[in-house]
Amino acid sequence: MSIQEVALGKAALRHAGRSRSALDSPVFLKLLAGLALLLVWEGVVRALAPAYVAKPTGIVKVLVRVTGDPQFLAAAGSTLSSVFAGLAVAVVLGTAVGLAMGRVAPVEQGLRYYVNSLFATPMIAILPLVTLWFGYNADARLAVVIFASFFSIAINVCDGARSVPVAYLEVARSFRARPWSTLFDIVLPSSLPYLIAGLRLASGRALVAAVVAEFFISIPGLGYFILFNSRTFKHNEAFVAVIALVIVGVSLEALLNWVTRRYLPWARRD
Amino acid sequence: MGTGARWRRHATVALSLAAGAAVWEVSALFTTRAFWAPLSETLQSLAEAARSGTLASQAASSLELYATGLALAMVVGAPLGLLMARMRRVRVALETYIMMLYATPMVALIPFILSMMGFGFAPKVLVVFLFSVFPVLYNTVEGARSIRPELIEVARAFRSSERQLWRDVLIPYTLPFAMTGIRQAIARGLVGMVAAEFFLSPSGLGQMIMLGSQNFDTAGLLAAILVIVVLGVALMDFGRWIEERFAPWKEYTR
Repeated sequence: MSIQEVALGKAALRHAGRSRSALDSPVFLKLLAGLALLLVWEGVVRALAPAYVAKPTGIVKVLVRVTGDPQFLAAAGSTLSSVFAGLAVAVVLGTAVGLAMGRVAPVEQGLRYYVNSLFATPMIAILPLVTLWFGYNADARLAVVIFASFFSIAINVCDGARSVPVAYLEVARSFRARPWSTLFDIVLPSSLPYLIAGLRLASGRALVAAVVAEFFISIPGLGYFILFNSRTFKHNEAFVAVIALVIVGVSLEALLNWVTRRYLPWARRD
Repeated sequence: MGTGARWRRHATVALSLAAGAAVWEVSALFTTRAFWAPLSETLQSLAEAARSGTLASQAASSLELYATGLALAMVVGAPLGLLMARMRRVRVALETYIMMLYATPMVALIPFILSMMGFGFAPKVLVVFLFSVFPVLYNTVEGARSIRPELIEVARAFRSSERQLWRDVLIPYTLPFAMTGIRQAIARGLVGMVAAEFFLSPSGLGQMIMLGSQNFDTAGLLAAILVIVVLGVALMDFGRWIEERFAPWKEYTR
């Protein structure tokens, strides 16, 4: 019996005595649930909330107009470029600091308390301080994004660099590998899954940081777009920006999952 | 680790903390008070706030908000997730949406909450709740997904009752995941708390930060941030502790 036949047999056994229905198809179930959620949202808003509150039919009506609006596109571009620039800086700095902490004990002992406590600090709290330093402009937003994402990367890379199998390092030493090639050919690659885990955490935090900074500083971006439109009671328009943020958040998560599966198959979680 | 190594370790840590304090103090000499205040002034400002009682009352107000929102999130999130361990179809139908909401930056909803619910305690609790409920729900559902159907089939084959099934299979399998979710919720809820205090009606530690920044009282601003840093560290340690305490068989992951 081939593996497929065994698998089929098992599935058949499980379904014996139970007729197959559409409810066994995950796609159908998900679509049904999505439709039900939208209907509940629409119904609740229509029955209980004032007319300006966002509802699915209202959002659909403004969707094309808003996504074609140059102002919206500029806002989205501004927020995204800030998030990606901040993440890039945080990855470079965080990897450098994380590797140093993971491989050099005094560095780790010296920085540990600072990195751990700032990792645990909600970055929103430092927002007013950052605006004192950088002014009410896009630099302050970038600084908050970097601050929000740096520590989760540094901490994870440090964990990764510390858990490099000792055997690898011993082999490198017996072959008299130079310190730099040990670092780049052994320590860094084996910390990569940790780096990705840190980046996943960091990307969510960076997105929150960018939106919060825009609320606070009032500079063009998706966060400010939401603030402005909801203040003028255009909730449907504002919600289009929320959907854009959800799409970005989910795609970053999906992208990192895909990278892990494709390039680091040994580090899969599931 | 030998005693010598341990002493060296303690010494390095003490040295790093002392160096940090010194840098904080000295760096203030090279900047104006509008940007930075020395550690000594910050601690003075903190002592002043503690003496006058503002610190205690503001911290109590923040913690009340935080605890209410977080408790609601756990009471709603964990049982819903557990229920989905039993009802496979409901889980399959909803898990994609839960994942999406988990990845959504909830701060984006604050302006809507402000214009619909206005100022008050309830909208702020809603913000903390929204920040923390999805980590609990998402992780508990992940746990529900990790239960292999064979386990339930074996339990059935041995004629275990519904109660036994919950006690011996469903809860032990989902609890560690729920604990990871609660740990994440503890951290995210704190962000929600500060965000709510900033952008809805100002109150608590968030208001202390805002006042410090508006009055160019940098020492007061830094004092309030310091309190939040200490609170964040304490809460993160507490979260890690409950995760290990209630689910020691699961490996710790960030």
